[in-house]
Amino acid sequence: MAEIVPALGTEIKKVKKKESPFIITLKRLLKNKLAVIGLIIIVVQIGMAICAPLITSYDPAKQNLVASELPVFSEEHWLGTDNYGRDVWSRIVYGARISLVVGLVAVSLGLIGGVTLGLLGGYYKKLDGIIMRIVDLLFSFPGILLAMLIIAILGTSLVNVAIAISIWSIPSCARIVRGSVLSIKEKEYIMAMKSLGASDLRIMVKHILPNCFAPIIVFATMRMATAILSTAALSYLGLGAQPPTPEWGAMISQGQAFMWSSPHLTIVPGIAIMLTVFAFNVVGDGLRDAIDPNMDIQ
Amino acid sequence: MIVSSEKTISNELNKPKVLLELKGIKKYFPIKGGVLKRKQGDVKAVENVSLQLYEGESLGVVGESGCGKSTLGKAILGLEELTEGQIYFQDTEIQHLKRKEKIKFIKQMQMIFQDPYASLNPRQRIGHALEEVFTMHTNMSAGEKRQAVIDLLEEVGLKEEHFDRFPHEFSGGQRQRIGIARAIALNPSFIICDEAVSALDVSVQAQVLKLLKKLQQKYQLSYLFISHDLGVVRYFCDRVLVMYLGNTVELGTVKELFDRPLHPYTQALLSAIPRPSVHTKHKRIRLQGDLPNPANPPSGCPFHTRCPIAADVCKGEKPEWVEYEPNHFAACHFAGQPIA
Repeated sequence: MAEIVPALGTEIKKVKKKESPFIITLKRLLKNKLAVIGLIIIVVQIGMAICAPLITSYDPAKQNLVASELPVFSEEHWLGTDNYGRDVWSRIVYGARISLVVGLVAVSLGLIGGVTLGLLGGYYKKLDGIIMRIVDLLFSFPGILLAMLIIAILGTSLVNVAIAISIWSIPSCARIVRGSVLSIKEKEYIMAMKSLGASDLRIMVKHILPNCFAPIIVFATMRMATAILSTAALSYLGLGAQPPTPEWGAMISQGQAFMWSSPHLTIVPGIAIMLTVFAFNVVGDGLRDAIDPNMDIQ
Repeated sequence: MIVSSEKTISNELNKPKVLLELKGIKKYFPIKGGVLKRKQGDVKAVENVSLQLYEGESLGVVGESGCGKSTLGKAILGLEELTEGQIYFQDTEIQHLKRKEKIKFIKQMQMIFQDPYASLNPRQRIGHALEEVFTMHTNMSAGEKRQAVIDLLEEVGLKEEHFDRFPHEFSGGQRQRIGIARAIALNPSFIICDEAVSALDVSVQAQVLKLLKKLQQKYQLSYLFISHDLGVVRYFCDRVLVMYLGNTVELGTVKELFDRPLHPYTQALLSAIPRPSVHTKHKRIRLQGDLPNPANPPSGCPFHTRCPIAADVCKGEKPEWVEYEPNHFAACHFAGQPIA
């Protein structure tokens, strides 16, 4: 009995390595045509935002009153110019930077807050009641109203818009994370870690959090769309980006006065917002379908 | 007279050391209901269990599902808070210790879980899962940890190549070996095997049991072996505890208990073991009815509702836990009486 008992099937199968859950999800996502379109739009937009100075020949804030209100497909400016003669194309391209960055910052801050609250609430039964009541309180305000309230307190600027939107993202994120934590913490491997004497912090961060990434990723993608839309909405209301910052919502609001003479001043940024929001929503939807609920069990 | 006193002394010397002692363990789960979530009663999962576990022995715990076997195991490890009772480990009461002092005992007591699929984090490479045990409790360097994990893997019959694999890349038996490796990583003296081989098929079961036995001899381990498989318990354990509805029913050495069961419930359980012979006649004792609701257990002896030899006294009085023969305990008014 002293010799080592060999396990069945210990020989390493070098035939084919099992694919990681990430690759499986990606493959499923790429089968969804709508999601692929969305992904392409997002990638193009990120490219645009990064290479902004390379693909535009005009400064987005530089006025040129001689060439004001040029229509679309003009010789020098293919998307025309606004009432101050600023190139609409470069404003859209630089606007992509602002939208993506504000969206990213807002969603990340919201995730940090939401995930922390959700983890604590889901893991500690005693904290759950308190945290969920705070979340309910935040939920009871209409989103835009809450954001406006926060901006009214903090003052108008893009940074404050990001903060406002992040606070508004916290409650829904906290709920989603709490739900996953509640189911994961009953799993046997969590019990096993407890029996090994792992601290609560280690269990939460190293064992529960990685296993609720799937819903968090879907949430974050969908939230990007909402965040970009809300940034535009707040800027349209004059609470976000201040002139001459080339922000899409602000551009619509400024172009509104020239709706009849130069409709492209509102339509072009409108299409930009629409495409972005559409892309993020579609990718989020695709991700939700692609992430198999059974993946954890395999 | 001189001879007999010498005998008692030598008995004292040979008496194995008590590693773990349970005194009147109770675990009730509250039932909450209604609009205000008020407590409406208790599910009595473990009811007044007292026992001693000796160093180096395997104590089997058997009983039908829902009889509180697993809850007992979890309660010992502190994974479930006790309603009442004390747990002594190496003569120290462990439940009320602060975390810092408790860690020392946590390292001594480990658990192997029933489901080898569910007891490993699906997103953690098994090498890292094992390394984590050392990260938590030792100050080893990265290289030392890796070497320790490889040694562990080899100890349980796996190989170094398995280090970077995810749990889903293993078979059930291999996964249970990883669970065992994790449990022995800190050199414990006591391991609870909660249905550790029940999820495995028979050939793999035998391998895993052999491995557990080998480790027991090598490291002087004590096992609390929770199982519903009497055959496995007979092969693997030194003593057996039978539980019914959260109560201890009978406790004895494997030989005593299997050869001369005292309690009618034990007799019924043993008669249910399939026998590979057509010639010897053996009568199967069939119990009537289902397991009573543990939230509303029967009065008196918990088994009286299904017991073939129950009398009036069983309804009214709960039988005492009596040592009928040396090291053979039972709780029955009619202990030893065969079922007609």
